[in-house]
Amino acid sequence: MVEGVFVKLPSFPFLNPAVSPSSPNCRLGFRRFSASLSAVVKEGSVSLGHSTRPDFPILHQEVNGSKLVYLDNAATSQKPTAVLKALQNYYETYNSNVHRGIHYLSAKATDEYELARKKVAAFINASDSTEIVFTRNATEAINLVAYSWGLSNLRPGSEIILSIAEHHSAIVPWQTIAQKTGAILRFVSLDENEVPDVEELRGMISERTELVVVHHVSNVLGSVLPIEDIVIWAHAVGAKVLVDACQSVPHMVVDVQGLDADFLVASSHKMCGPTGVGFLFGKSNLLLDMPPFLGGGEMISDVFLDHSTYAEPPSRFEAGTPAIGEAIGLGAAIDYLSGIGMQKIHDYEMELANYLYEKLCSVPNIRIYGPKPSDNIHRAALCSFNVENIHPTDLATFLDQQHGVAIRSGHHCAQPLHRHLGVNASARASLHFYNTREDVDEFIRSLDDTVSFFNSFK
Amino acid sequence: MEAFVGIDTNLERSRSDLPFKSIPAATHLFSRWFDSSPLTCALKHQRKMALHSFSSARFCTSKFPICFHLSKPSKFPLFSHRSISFEKIPTKSPPPLRSSSTQLQPMEELPPKLQEIIKLFQSVEEPKAKYEQLMFYGKNLNPLDTQFKTKENKVEGCVSQVWVRAYLDEDKNVFYQADSDSVLTKGLAALLVNGLSGRPAQEILRVPPDFAVLLGLQQSLTPSRNNGFLNMLKLMQRKALELLIEAEKGNGAYGNGQVVTDNSEKPVENSNSDSNVDENSGVRLSSQKSNEDNSSGLGSRGMRIKEKLERELSPIELEVEDVSYQHAGHAGVRGSDGETHFNVRIVSKEFEGKSLVKRHRLIYGLLDEELQTGLHALSLVAKTPSEVEAK
Repeated sequence: MVEGVFVKLPSFPFLNPAVSPSSPNCRLGFRRFSASLSAVVKEGSVSLGHSTRPDFPILHQEVNGSKLVYLDNAATSQKPTAVLKALQNYYETYNSNVHRGIHYLSAKATDEYELARKKVAAFINASDSTEIVFTRNATEAINLVAYSWGLSNLRPGSEIILSIAEHHSAIVPWQTIAQKTGAILRFVSLDENEVPDVEELRGMISERTELVVVHHVSNVLGSVLPIEDIVIWAHAVGAKVLVDACQSVPHMVVDVQGLDADFLVASSHKMCGPTGVGFLFGKSNLLLDMPPFLGGGEMISDVFLDHSTYAEPPSRFEAGTPAIGEAIGLGAAIDYLSGIGMQKIHDYEMELANYLYEKLCSVPNIRIYGPKPSDNIHRAALCSFNVENIHPTDLATFLDQQHGVAIRSGHHCAQPLHRHLGVNASARASLHFYNTREDVDEFIRSLDDTVSFFNSFK
Repeated sequence: MEAFVGIDTNLERSRSDLPFKSIPAATHLFSRWFDSSPLTCALKHQRKMALHSFSSARFCTSKFPICFHLSKPSKFPLFSHRSISFEKIPTKSPPPLRSSSTQLQPMEELPPKLQEIIKLFQSVEEPKAKYEQLMFYGKNLNPLDTQFKTKENKVEGCVSQVWVRAYLDEDKNVFYQADSDSVLTKGLAALLVNGLSGRPAQEILRVPPDFAVLLGLQQSLTPSRNNGFLNMLKLMQRKALELLIEAEKGNGAYGNGQVVTDNSEKPVENSNSDSNVDENSGVRLSSQKSNEDNSSGLGSRGMRIKEKLERELSPIELEVEDVSYQHAGHAGVRGSDGETHFNVRIVSKEFEGKSLVKRHRLIYGLLDEELQTGLHALSLVAKTPSEVEAK
């Protein structure tokens, strides 16, 4: 479906969308499935990036004397005014502590907070909002599973399967729990496409496996894992699956029932919501059996001096006053994203992803990590890369100082992965639906300039 | 410290022009103000004014301190057509106790080569050219042998890898070598290596981290934990301190020619490396030690000074500190053997009944010979035992 406004600009003489797309650079051998969309995008209609940009005031500024080009969305996303307004409105009109209050403000705050929970549940197609636990972020959500589910379900010899490409937040808590319980961590390596080896993973799953922890979309490689298949293999041996969906929920349709995931985590700040809130999705039967993680107010039923009884999930796992305003802000972000449509966002970002990859390939001596996009292999709209003989920090610094382009350099919280790739650090450009082709063009132009600058010094 | 001095030459003349009477209470207060002592030192004046019993509570609770009132003429229609201009007069902060030489600007306290480098960077305006300059430094940095790329030599909190090695030469000056896989970081490291090498440890320890501001390199300024530049400097200073402690431990007397290198069996970095390094207290190191240890670090003149004072004044406390390095390059120092400036703290009964001037004269008299033969300046703290106890 093509949505767009045809703008009568003098520089775009073609207004007929039926014109066949000129795709000269098909050297990568893939077909753009939304070819007509790309033609329209090229020829003067307003792309999603352009139409949504006005909603993000932060993007319209200069840094270091150049227009800001924000390409660090995998680290955190920007927030639309709708979310900012929701936050402000909360604090201005009905801020109050939730759940126990009797008065009007408290009732309203509670309603909105629980409504936000319902929105999250609907957004990922959970069967019930009680399956959504609000946490501080995805990291806390993983820790919750580790300390609550892990400590009571893992035994010496239990196996937890992860990939070497996991984010530190998905690795470190399990290292701690493995130490405490005697469980063993097993890691899946990368295959020849530089994607976690799914076959190897399948082979690793055995009766000893209790848990599989995998990312949905890799924040370094840009690869997407076949979660449905992994879940099927895991469930066949009675193992659970924890999906790290931080890079997928903001960019594509995620259906926890369709995936049949046992646990799923995501952070609000990566999906246009405020920082300070994230969530854990857990199947009802699992959450019901789990002991509390943090203890305190809100998560109790009755408190005596020598013992307490605990509330039902999700309250059981939400100790203390939650980030009420932020959760409501997350709800507003979900409204905003749903208003656009996650499928539309995904389609547009696929476009951008391919465009970014293509253009990056043109930079001499560049090494992009992760799979090559093709018919079967889709990449997320991010690229981690290194340019030969130039340190990624130098690139990032120069891009920022001289061109206002914001990318990230470092290990992206994936040191084991970088060790495997044989590098200390990489640079990463990551896009979101409010980025445009022009952003990519500007990035590439600046990168070329940066590379020549450093090369001229060799 | 600055004093605001209001200069209004039209004051006398225009006073009568103003319609005081027709303007409500606030201006009535101003007429009283004008009638009082002439407008010379506004600061002193304003303190006086604050003590004046102004009848209007409104004035006393005004948001602006009195001295700023006059700088916002729009607030009061009274001043709309008057021109009171304020001039900032820099007042000298009280001279530090230590030295009798002129007060140094922060820049001049830095090691000379570092000053040169800073001046160079300041003269290069365009950011791109600054980077080129930085990379030029990095390119010409002496390579660091792989054996020195150890964990102890690695700069923490750096996104790129940076190693720094430090060693002393015969004159107890610290020399550095460094390397990095990032050219910009290498440039920064080279900058520090070139700027700090060959200087005594105490001087290096006195380099304040915010000197980086003078370079005009924005990336060195972010205070995040990944600020490699600050961490580099910290590591270099820590290593200098460690070397200093090692050297002083190794053999007390100054100038013994002991060289401590990384090739020694005991790695310098592991000895006494305390994370509580206060770089700025490196200077105070010798004075913080007990008096018995104070002889370490003093050369022959320092020893003579000490002996004489001990003999003649029988002090209950005596600290003699050689601070000549702070004045290296100073006119009075040239041509001497380096022991030119000392801090002396002495507590003795002999000072009882004597004024400060008399006490100092007494000491100068005792050290007259030294003063004739190259001792350039003494910074004295002379107290009696009862004065010290009274604190």
